[in-house]
Amino acid sequence: MFGITGWTDTIRLSGLLYSGTLTTVKIFFLTLIFSLPLGLIVALGSSSKRKWISGPIKLYILIMRGTPLLLQIIFIYFAPFYMLPEGMKINLDRFIAAVIAFSLNYAAYFAEIFRGGIESISHGQYEAASVLGFTRTQTFLRIILPQVIKRILPPVSNEVITLLKDTALVQIIGISELLRVAQNEASRIFSIMPIFVAGLFYLLMNWVVTKVFHKAEKKLSYYK
Amino acid sequence: MQMLKVENLVKSFDGKEILSGISLEVNKGEVVAVIGPSGSGKSTLLRCINLLEQIDQGRITVEGDIMVHREKGMGEAAITEEAVKKIRLRLGLVFQNFNLFPHFSVLRNITEAPIHVAGMNRKEAENMALELLEKMDLKEKAEAYPCQLSGGQCQRVAIARALAMKPDILFFDEPTSALDPELTVEVLKVIRKLAAEHMTMVVVTHEMNFAREVADRVIFMDKGQIIEQGSPQEIFSNPSNERTRTFLGNFKD
Repeated sequence: MFGITGWTDTIRLSGLLYSGTLTTVKIFFLTLIFSLPLGLIVALGSSSKRKWISGPIKLYILIMRGTPLLLQIIFIYFAPFYMLPEGMKINLDRFIAAVIAFSLNYAAYFAEIFRGGIESISHGQYEAASVLGFTRTQTFLRIILPQVIKRILPPVSNEVITLLKDTALVQIIGISELLRVAQNEASRIFSIMPIFVAGLFYLLMNWVVTKVFHKAEKKLSYYK
Repeated sequence: MQMLKVENLVKSFDGKEILSGISLEVNKGEVVAVIGPSGSGKSTLLRCINLLEQIDQGRITVEGDIMVHREKGMGEAAITEEAVKKIRLRLGLVFQNFNLFPHFSVLRNITEAPIHVAGMNRKEAENMALELLEKMDLKEKAEAYPCQLSGGQCQRVAIARALAMKPDILFFDEPTSALDPELTVEVLKVIRKLAAEHMTMVVVTHEMNFAREVADRVIFMDKGQIIEQGSPQEIFSNPSNERTRTFLGNFKD
């Protein structure tokens, strides 16, 4: 029905999809590792009272959310070569360019989620901490952040699920991630089957992501 | 012995003067009740003394140590942040809506500051917390979370949390205003207990009977000023000021 002719094709397809999935998963995790902490820093910076900090950060968020991620990937990959003067040109590795673009982009989205979470914590929490003598850093890390994390889990899980699917965009700079590999194979054997299987792979991975977030929400449901 | 001295405290919000030159003194072991209509500046006074608001003018002295001093034209007195922090730790504040930390158990709400601010060791802090909870009649709730408690229980935990830092003066900002009448009783009982132990306390309250019964001195505030102060007997039975009479008249059924 899908035009698969025999075992050789099946084995070949599994191998290809496996390597594509590996690339997808690598970009996914590296982006999370970099963009979550960066997002927190950006969130704190964007709500800073000092204009010279919050101004540029707000501009950064505007650009990251206001232009296509696809464009950003292309730009970050090619700009170091085309925009730098002769002698300083850098040939950025595709994979590194992709991770930088994704991290910068997702950090902007995470930052806005963090900011919303931080602002939702009542002022009384800061006041209670302050009269008890906690420093600002202690207050943030011990009192505010744990409550923020509980509140932002649902919107963060949305972003993380989108991130996994967005990794398909990196094929624009020639990275063989899951969807690209499947597409290539689909044209080679003239069958829709590889695309269908790739879809199942994404679904399976996001099912795991969903499970992980549900677990985390459950773990934090011990208080209101 | 004088524990707290406030001199000529002025505080405005957006050009509107909320406190217009308040001066007051609190002596060791004294229980002072602050009463007055809403918007009279009672809560703001407490918040200023506890440094939750920056004062515009005035001087606050705790046990002889100047904590804040600002005068027009002179700016702020050069008191190091460290020194201010140390002095401030001698003050404790209990809020109207408790402000417990919802993600910590009752026990941890109480021990967190002693351990991480005062540097007490964990075991010692937990033992002290359990003693405080026993005093608050809440020992069995040590492992509970604030969301599992009633308002009255929450407020008693908040009192224990403030006491855990061993403050020299404890301030209460309308501690029962967020509570149902039957829960008010249990919180007032705890405050009475502390009064009997000669804890120095300043209580902003709408509970006139409580003020009459427990306070050594009652301060009546209106429109950012102290209008009248004296023993509960003087204020409640024989107020000299017209505004005090009008205000107290509202409480007679």
